[in-house]
Amino acid sequence: MIRVKNLTKEFGSMDNGGGGVLALSSIDFEVRDNEFVTVIGPSGCGKTTLLRIIAGLISYQHGEVSIDSHPVVGPGPERAVVFQNFALLPWTDVLGNVTFGLDVRGATKNDSQAKAKELIKLVGLEGFERRLPKELSGGMQQRVGLARALAVNPRILLMDEPFGALDEQTRRLLQEQLLQLWERERKTVVFITHSMEEAVMLGDRVMLMTPRPGKVKEMIDIPLKRPRPPDIEKSAAFIEIKEYLWENLRAMQTDQP
Amino acid sequence: MKSVTASETVVKTTAARNIGSSPGLQRSVRHYALEVFALLAGAVIWESLGWSLGLQWLPPFSQVLVALVQFLASGLILSNLQSSLLSLIVGFALSLVFGLFLGALMGRYRVVEKAFDVYVHALFVCPSILFAPIFFAIFGLSDASRIAIIFVYSTFVIVINTATAIRTVEPSLVEMAYSFGCREHQIFTRILLPASLPLVFAGIRLGMGRAVKGMINGEMLIAFVGLGALAQKYGAQFDAAKVFAIAMVVLIIGLVSNAFVQALESRLTRWAD
Repeated sequence: MIRVKNLTKEFGSMDNGGGGVLALSSIDFEVRDNEFVTVIGPSGCGKTTLLRIIAGLISYQHGEVSIDSHPVVGPGPERAVVFQNFALLPWTDVLGNVTFGLDVRGATKNDSQAKAKELIKLVGLEGFERRLPKELSGGMQQRVGLARALAVNPRILLMDEPFGALDEQTRRLLQEQLLQLWERERKTVVFITHSMEEAVMLGDRVMLMTPRPGKVKEMIDIPLKRPRPPDIEKSAAFIEIKEYLWENLRAMQTDQP
Repeated sequence: MKSVTASETVVKTTAARNIGSSPGLQRSVRHYALEVFALLAGAVIWESLGWSLGLQWLPPFSQVLVALVQFLASGLILSNLQSSLLSLIVGFALSLVFGLFLGALMGRYRVVEKAFDVYVHALFVCPSILFAPIFFAIFGLSDASRIAIIFVYSTFVIVINTATAIRTVEPSLVEMAYSFGCREHQIFTRILLPASLPLVFAGIRLGMGRAVKGMINGEMLIAFVGLGALAQKYGAQFDAAKVFAIAMVVLIIGLVSNAFVQALESRLTRWAD
């Protein structure tokens, strides 16, 4: 279980000086084991900052962040991150990218290659093992990013707007496939997004955040049954939640005429 | 295990595989022919200017070739070339090791950068030959003077390029590596070094060129040995053909060393094309 309690993060302040930017303020929430939580909020609300704190990539000033009651002090083997810009190594091929996490954790070459090939197959990239990232489309690159994260067999998957850089069609395809993968093995997922459809389509709950400084405005249950078929977005419940999110987000927009 | 299928199209697949087949080959043959033609044209123009102007400092190209052949036949060039190249290799190897090491530390750690930046840039801008008298005073008429000059000539451009290369590595790659639990030394070996290689090689090539310059300058001004000393000697005799012949030898050293670094570079950084 991920527990975030009274979390506050300020950027650019020296301990004595002040004058920094308050990115997150008194954040409180929990993510249960095997739960899929999507996080949505206006641009600059600190969603990505929150994810990076849970990933152990940046520090925070106040509050507690813990995983199974162990405080987060850095990255850990139970967590893996999928990045918005894919963050693939351009000098090595698909196989080299997917084995990255296993290699740095000291797996033998045979083990890591076998595991990587299994995951490359799982994300539908069989036959592309020897391709460099630049030879792949954006959607395929993010499949590599997903396979790399899954390869280290994390219990918690932290996804930072993973489909945000993709075109609409590719994004919907990958959403469906992510759902299929998740049905097979229900990992704990925190998924940052700026798409309302995506937030409702994927999540068990949606966490709605306020503009800077980011706070939790509301945790919204998504009572849609699983497995969710692609046409679930036509259902009344789906549309209702989506509209509710939009009303809230619209009210937060500061740059409306 | 049932797998999800990839239905997006693959970009650049067949195109990327076809490089090296006939259209590419034709292009490189055409480039090669153009280069040969430019060299021949230069030789012809030089030859005719040499004969028609009759200037003492511009002997016809054929006389330069004759001087070069005489040099080679007498063994004068080869023995001097050997001593020059030896100090070039030692001096450049030292500056490579030092330059890459200091550059990497400066690129990675702000403290190191702050501490050394002003020195590195000052020494980079300062004409290295200014140090010749000092090296002469320290090392006397030995190879060490030459090597020291070569080192000062080539090191700092390598430091600066390496530091910039490391500093500008895509931060998201470093963050990604941290997220998978990389330690600092793994960040270096698995992310920073490979990612910075293209820019580092640019620095190495510039450093190589400067090392050749340093070699000749050092030989001409302090250690009166090697090719530089020969050039100095014939220059004093106003024997332009022989000076040009030595210049051609230096030119070839420059081209060969550059080609060597470039070959290594394209092997190691093919991904960046």
